[in-house]
Amino acid sequence: MYKWLDERLDLTSLYQKVLRKAFPVHHSFFLGEITLFAFVVLVLTGVFLTLNYEPSIREVRLPDGRTVPAAYASILYIDSLPFGAVIRSLHHWSAHAMIAAAFLHMLRILLTGAYKKPRELNYLVGLALLGLTVVTAFTGYALPYDNYAVTATRIGYGIAASIPWVGGTIAEVMFGGEFPGSERSIPRLFSLHVLWLPLLLMALIGLHLLIMFKQKHTQPRYAERVAPGKILGVPMYPQQMVMMGILFALYVGIMTMIAGAFLAHPVEAFGPPTPNTPAVKPDWYFLWLYGLLQIIPASWQFRLFGATIGPEFIGGVLIPGILGIVALLLPFVDTRRDKMRYMELPSEHPVRTSAILALLVFFLMSTLAGYKIDFQQQGSLLGNNAVLWTLVLGGPLLTFFLAYTLMRIFYGKKRAEKAL
Amino acid sequence: MDEREIRLRTSRRRLFIKTAIGTGIGLSLISAFYVGASLRPRKEVTPEKEPLKAGDILVYAQGGGEPKPIRLEELKPGDPFVLAYPMDPKTKVVKSGEAKNTVLVARYSPEELSPEVAQHAVEGVVAYSAVCTHLGCIISQWVADKKAGLCPCHGGTFDLARGARVIAGPPPRPVPQLPLKAENEVLVAAGEFLGEVGVKAEAGGQCRV
Repeated sequence: MYKWLDERLDLTSLYQKVLRKAFPVHHSFFLGEITLFAFVVLVLTGVFLTLNYEPSIREVRLPDGRTVPAAYASILYIDSLPFGAVIRSLHHWSAHAMIAAAFLHMLRILLTGAYKKPRELNYLVGLALLGLTVVTAFTGYALPYDNYAVTATRIGYGIAASIPWVGGTIAEVMFGGEFPGSERSIPRLFSLHVLWLPLLLMALIGLHLLIMFKQKHTQPRYAERVAPGKILGVPMYPQQMVMMGILFALYVGIMTMIAGAFLAHPVEAFGPPTPNTPAVKPDWYFLWLYGLLQIIPASWQFRLFGATIGPEFIGGVLIPGILGIVALLLPFVDTRRDKMRYMELPSEHPVRTSAILALLVFFLMSTLAGYKIDFQQQGSLLGNNAVLWTLVLGGPLLTFFLAYTLMRIFYGKKRAEKAL
Repeated sequence: MDEREIRLRTSRRRLFIKTAIGTGIGLSLISAFYVGASLRPRKEVTPEKEPLKAGDILVYAQGGGEPKPIRLEELKPGDPFVLAYPMDPKTKVVKSGEAKNTVLVARYSPEELSPEVAQHAVEGVVAYSAVCTHLGCIISQWVADKKAGLCPCHGGTFDLARGARVIAGPPPRPVPQLPLKAENEVLVAAGEFLGEVGVKAEAGGQCRV
């Protein structure tokens, strides 16, 4: 059988070329794989959801006599199917897992300097993937069309519309007219969420893997000691495949357990859309932006060439945009050519490591600002804008200097010894 | 570069092919823009999406069932505001299809209102657009101790007795007021909103194809 196939498909050379690819063994190297597994689970559960979902806001009558939007009714239908609610929850939690794993994967790349030449291209593809993943998650927000989903999406519409000069057009193209209100919004967001963005993600994931294959993984530090100048790792088949299989099974198992235990986004509890705004909080990966939007005061507003640059543009587009551009430029600024093939130790690059820690503290502190209203209602000191600004700006600065000094003290000596 | 290549480069055949390909791509791009413009959907105005007009009757936005006009005696000074939609007086269509038609109605004692607010109020009842100017959420919570409206999305707070002045949070400007009058004890819009409703969308609606 193998011989028959091999004569026609030349399997042996495929095995030698592709399946023998060396995978370095290091636990941090599984983060990218987990991202991929989450995507696979998202596609599979997504197929199930698509088959039962109705992308429309036409009014339908429920058996109990209420009239609700068809999209909302179809979510109730999905939840009533055998394991329907579990599969929907699995889809929801997997989206969280994918974003978290992708972010941690990026942190690993940043901390070990793996973005440097010759891997700039793949780093850029990776950044695009992270951005696209978040956008895809956001386009899925509105689909259940309950009161919570509509409010959250409305904020997104407001942010898109606040872009100077072109915002109105961008928002109407992305949301299919004014949101909420337009009947074309849900079909537009639906097709973006289930067709175009996933296709784009698949294409970029393919490119990401292809470049990784061509360039080979960065090598863990022990590889330099064990076999300097050689590529070290286990072959893709059979060792790596077995590990991936186990990890995938573990991922699906754990996530299904979580999905079974915690129903995601209970649409019945939020109810169909009403003019009453529920107290919404976005998912954790948007909470930092949400926090920034709360502490940027109304007075940050000026006019430029006939357009208004307002606080919602500064918080919702400008600040994340600047962070994105800094990330894009990083491999072209940090061009020191040490250890290109091997992972760098975070302790040997105190400036970079401290800056990354500071960035994490910035995210944490602006996430804290996302709870401003709750703090205010409790009468806590953290409800104060000045206090929150001090934390958001001071926290990262303090972290940077503290981390830098500590690393200099602890690792500087070691390096001096090594030099001798 | 050998002679053959030089001849090829200067030949008119090459020039012709290049021009043809260039024109083809250019024209396709132009037509793609024309088709792409339809990505921005046409606005279709159905009766329940008509903008608010003078003379519209204000009805309760919540509660379901038959549209119920808001009567003056149902509102008490100091009570939380109520959300309302305009209803066409002739066709009796409630214009709830357009979020920008959402109105909030609150009652104060007449002496609490600032003079410029009072001139559009009826016996202490004031109405404003309920669409927050920050990111377009509906202002739906009442802050009892400040007698103000709160948008739960990002904490924008509006002092409704004083022209919806922003007293906390990020909204860039107050929500516009709606002039009111009373007809047979029922609240009726005496005009249109006194300003732009909702988020100021940049260049929105201007470059429509």
